[in-house]
Amino acid sequence: MENSDVNVIYSVQHQLPLVMYIGQYFFFTGLSAGSFVISVIATLLGRKEFKPIGKITAILAPILLIIAPINLIADLEQPLRFWHLFVYYNWTSPITYGSFLLTAYPIMGIIYAVMVYTDRQKAAKILGILGIPLAISVHGYTGFILALAKARALWNTAAMPTIFLVSAMVSGIGLVVIIAAARWKWFDKKATPEDRRKDKRLILQLAQFMAYIIMLDLFLIVSDILVLLTAHSDAYQAGMLILTGNFAPLFLGVEIFLGSIVPMVLVLGPTRYSLRAIVIASILVNIGVYAMRFVMVIGGQSIPLS
Amino acid sequence: MAKKRYAMLIDMRRCIGCHACTVACKAENAVPLEVNATWLKIIEKGKYPDTRRYFLPRMCNNCTDAICARNCPTQATYKRDDGIVVVDQHRCIGCKYCIASCPYDVRFINPLKNIVQKCYFCVHRVESGLVPACVESCPTRAMIFGDKNDSKSEIAQMLATNATEVLKQEMETDPQVFYIDADETVMSNVEKKINYRAESSLIKLRL
Repeated sequence: MENSDVNVIYSVQHQLPLVMYIGQYFFFTGLSAGSFVISVIATLLGRKEFKPIGKITAILAPILLIIAPINLIADLEQPLRFWHLFVYYNWTSPITYGSFLLTAYPIMGIIYAVMVYTDRQKAAKILGILGIPLAISVHGYTGFILALAKARALWNTAAMPTIFLVSAMVSGIGLVVIIAAARWKWFDKKATPEDRRKDKRLILQLAQFMAYIIMLDLFLIVSDILVLLTAHSDAYQAGMLILTGNFAPLFLGVEIFLGSIVPMVLVLGPTRYSLRAIVIASILVNIGVYAMRFVMVIGGQSIPLS
Repeated sequence: MAKKRYAMLIDMRRCIGCHACTVACKAENAVPLEVNATWLKIIEKGKYPDTRRYFLPRMCNNCTDAICARNCPTQATYKRDDGIVVVDQHRCIGCKYCIASCPYDVRFINPLKNIVQKCYFCVHRVESGLVPACVESCPTRAMIFGDKNDSKSEIAQMLATNATEVLKQEMETDPQVFYIDADETVMSNVEKKINYRAESSLIKLRL
């Protein structure tokens, strides 16, 4: 190695600024955005058998998005000053977009949920269509938070917001599948066998949809890593960090293998009609996406800068 | 007259690596333990007995196009008209996004005040017509501070007559700390190259 004769005698490295609160926040907004999109799709298609899923997800989205910013405020060094975000905004900072989006989106989500529950179809459809861009930006901006932190090679890529959105869809659908399956198993006894069969088929279809989005996610991750490995030296180190370095077990083992490949096989393979296998796949997917947030947030910062 | 533009020039031909700048900074700005606004990076090159140490005083570059100021959500970090990038300690909410965006790892959380701080060229001294504490304390006069737009100033003349370098030019931030004759290896990201596994970083996680 070219620098084998070089030793660092003294240098200062400051503490990692962003800890797992931020990763958890990304995870929860992702779940929220994913379940909101599913809810709107169910509402727009408007078929009777989609209604239960539309309702579950409509209530899930705002609840998750109320949990998410608690992580953000807990992460602040001066939590009581969080209102500065609204008073002293700075339009070149992605956090400023976020603070307004994070206010608007749950409010809209709650109104939408009320419309869905009171069965006002037309209002729910309009709000849903208006809400999708909001849901996409509320999660997409978190990708920009990382992408615009120029110093960190693992983050500074234009693919970051898309990767975040796609993995959010994956984890969101995963959560919906888990909840829908629980409902089918325990709270759906009164329905006719015919309806129960339809409900189960719907869950299976949802899981297949999830598997296809996992493929898209894998494609994005592979293209991101290929570019990292062939770009400048910092990017190469970042790529090696997650492929062979300390974060490799978490990235290759948990995120890629357990969180993407195993669920894909479970959902599309011979176990594709088994509800149990699909629920296991959905749990794995969520573990994988959580690991992805960890690798991105902590791994991105763990390459020394000086 | 052109606008004031404060800059720092560090002449590595004169630096003896005595850490006086680090100590002076700590004393002047009451920088707590664990963190540093100014420090001396030291590396050793070669195999015994053919070795040599290289130094590099490190501090905030007070970049013209500062990523931290662009990314600060509350405008707590901003650039003054004279080019110094400062943090308003009453406005900072401690979101730490500036620390994550800085390519030079010069920002830190003050563990006593719970806000972000960094080197700001001792702006309180500069406003009273003094030079920063590190410059004042440098025994070999390796550090030169002044208005680089004033052609009569020492720094402007030194910058005009010497070949200078800055850290991480590829980041396009236009750093205002210039070095003369600094070693290429000590200026580059040595630690990353030596150990990309970044073993220590997980220990530094504060949860």
